[in-house]
Amino acid sequence: MKIFKSIKWRLQIWYGLILVVVLAGFGFTAYQLERNRQFRRIDDELQRRVGILANVLRRPPPRGPNEGEQIFDRPPPRRDSESETQPESSDSGQNNSRAPFPTKAVQDALQRQLHRAPVQFHLPPEAAGLFNAGATNAFYYVIMGRDENEIARSTNAPFDEIYSYKSGSVAGKLNRFAPFPQWKDDRQKYNGEQFVYENFPANGIPVGQPFPPYKRGTFREIEIDTPPGERILVGQNIISELTELRLIGLQLAGVGGIVLFIGLAGGWWLVSRAIKPVNEISATAVKISAGDLSQRINVAEAESELGQLAAVLNSTFARLETAFAQQKQFAADAAHELRTPVTVILTQTQTALNRERDAASYKQTVEACQRAAQRMRKLIEALLALTRFDAGQETLNRQPFDFSKMVSECAELVQPLAEDRGVKLIFELPPLEITGDSERLAQVVTNLLTNAIQYNKPAGEVRVKLESQNGLAVLTVVDTGQGIAPENLPRVFGRFFRADASRTGAGNAGLGLAISKAIVEAHGGAMEVASEEKSGTTFTVRLPTGT
Amino acid sequence: MRILIVEDEPDLLASLAQALREEGYAVDTADNGADGLFNAEGTDYDAIVLDVMLPGIDGWEILKRLRKTKKTPVLMLTARDQTRDRVKGLDTGADDYVVKPFDLEELFARLRAIIRRSTNKTTNVIEIGDVKIDTAARNVYFKNKAVEITAREYSLVEFLALHRGELVTRTQLYEHLFDENESSLSNLLDVHVSNVRKKLGAEFIATRRGHGYCIE
Repeated sequence: MKIFKSIKWRLQIWYGLILVVVLAGFGFTAYQLERNRQFRRIDDELQRRVGILANVLRRPPPRGPNEGEQIFDRPPPRRDSESETQPESSDSGQNNSRAPFPTKAVQDALQRQLHRAPVQFHLPPEAAGLFNAGATNAFYYVIMGRDENEIARSTNAPFDEIYSYKSGSVAGKLNRFAPFPQWKDDRQKYNGEQFVYENFPANGIPVGQPFPPYKRGTFREIEIDTPPGERILVGQNIISELTELRLIGLQLAGVGGIVLFIGLAGGWWLVSRAIKPVNEISATAVKISAGDLSQRINVAEAESELGQLAAVLNSTFARLETAFAQQKQFAADAAHELRTPVTVILTQTQTALNRERDAASYKQTVEACQRAAQRMRKLIEALLALTRFDAGQETLNRQPFDFSKMVSECAELVQPLAEDRGVKLIFELPPLEITGDSERLAQVVTNLLTNAIQYNKPAGEVRVKLESQNGLAVLTVVDTGQGIAPENLPRVFGRFFRADASRTGAGNAGLGLAISKAIVEAHGGAMEVASEEKSGTTFTVRLPTGT
Repeated sequence: MRILIVEDEPDLLASLAQALREEGYAVDTADNGADGLFNAEGTDYDAIVLDVMLPGIDGWEILKRLRKTKKTPVLMLTARDQTRDRVKGLDTGADDYVVKPFDLEELFARLRAIIRRSTNKTTNVIEIGDVKIDTAARNVYFKNKAVEITAREYSLVEFLALHRGELVTRTQLYEHLFDENESSLSNLLDVHVSNVRKKLGAEFIATRRGHGYCIE
């Protein structure tokens, strides 16, 4: 798949995945927090009501062993006062520890009697207000006795069959009702006014262990068992809360979707911006590989990492272009140099073949062709030598030899030329042993001497001086010629350079100095030129003596 | 037809001069720019073959200076074959351009073409009465029969035909038919004219006594 190989797409996909995970986590947490808050509020209400109902559910005060005898020093509160005292009597009930109390045996007897007593349930009006049957979100209750009979039920309580203890499996709901627990410590205690359950403060939250609230359909319910064994269920229709929660959930999802979209769009923009320079670099590289070497990457941000890369690439491209241009120029120059001898051969032979000729005429033609061929050979040899030096393939035959003796031998070679031009050669050659390729170096010296004679003025002179400086052999060749124009000096060692652009004399293709320089540099030396127009030119060759 | 060759490569110069002489042209040579310019300015050549790379004054410079005084057709010889070199040559006033190495046949054809253009002729064939001259093949026909004719006689016919209706002086004929090395013996021209009249009819070349010759 091409799309997954694109950095842009991969970044975008990863970025989108991370964004989705973060948004989903955030949205889910927010939804859960809101849901928990709502349910806790509902559960608090449910527990408050279950506590109130537990305290309303009471039995008549126990009697003494003798029928009808009061065991307490004070009479139990009247039944009709229950509703007045019940809601606010919890504190007094807790603190009333100094109340005289019967012995342990009497207490147990009382407890048993209490638990056996028939249950009375009368919902006081204040409490009834908490179960307003009219509203849709009204609270409802169901109370069942130990023998699974229904003691009381609010009119709006739904699903009666569920609360039938006998049909223990209806809706699978009642399975979780454990057998009635054995209550040991939860006793109704007399607080001086009335009996209250310790764990169910009259006005507050039950402190015992009610079953955890649960949700059944659109209803939230809580159940509790009183110590004597009655079960109280309080519930509320929470459909409006659920609707609200669903709305919040939808809103969260919607906002999350919008944020995701904006995030993805922003991410796409960012990634595109980040990738853009890469695309530019790539486009430029494509153009260059297609052959347009003059293309450069537009380095807008030189400070960034990509800017640095682009700068490096640009300098590489520039070097490539220069190298290509040099190569092209070199090839064009070489071809140009070959054109003249080829033209000579073509015209000579075509003229000769036009008609029958005598032997002398044919001989002339063949000689002209030979001269042209020799010239081409020299040129080809020079080109090959230069190519080998360029590629570092030229091997030097290094031997110790006497530099001064070699220079003298070269001088003898060029002596006839010097005499021909009336140029005087002056030498200063102390013996100097160096190590190097004497044949190649002789080529350099001969080239320098020939140039010095050829470009000299008539009856001029050439001074050749050899000396040792700081472990270097220094050869200077000074002529008294026309000199070289300052603008041409940097090009003297260039290929196919000729001071007189039209001089096409045989064997003088303008490669001599370029080859000489390559030879000297292959020896680890250096070659310099200095010139003054109208008075002469000085070439200096510096060679390490040891190598 | 008299032609000047300016070329510094001696072997090339020699063979070109020989080949053109054998084609019937009168050929002068120069092996450097200064001599070439001197010759070109001093003589009415029918065409000049000019090398670009020359010691002293180069081909461009010769052309530039020559164009100030003369409209002689110039064929440039050069080893540079890039478009900008050709454009430069043609813009400087060269009439044509031949890149080394070239075939002699092509050089001859281009020379003929620039000479023809300079005399406002569009074809290679000139017809005058019963005489037909094929300047490409260098043949002359009289009453549709090929006529045996020497190179020098052909040059005479061709030159007069190209200047048809004009009076051509003896000096002009000497300048265009003989190169600088030939002594201008006055009776040599008369011999050629008389030979041509024998082959193409006496009335073909009219004599304007004391002035020169003319083809009506």
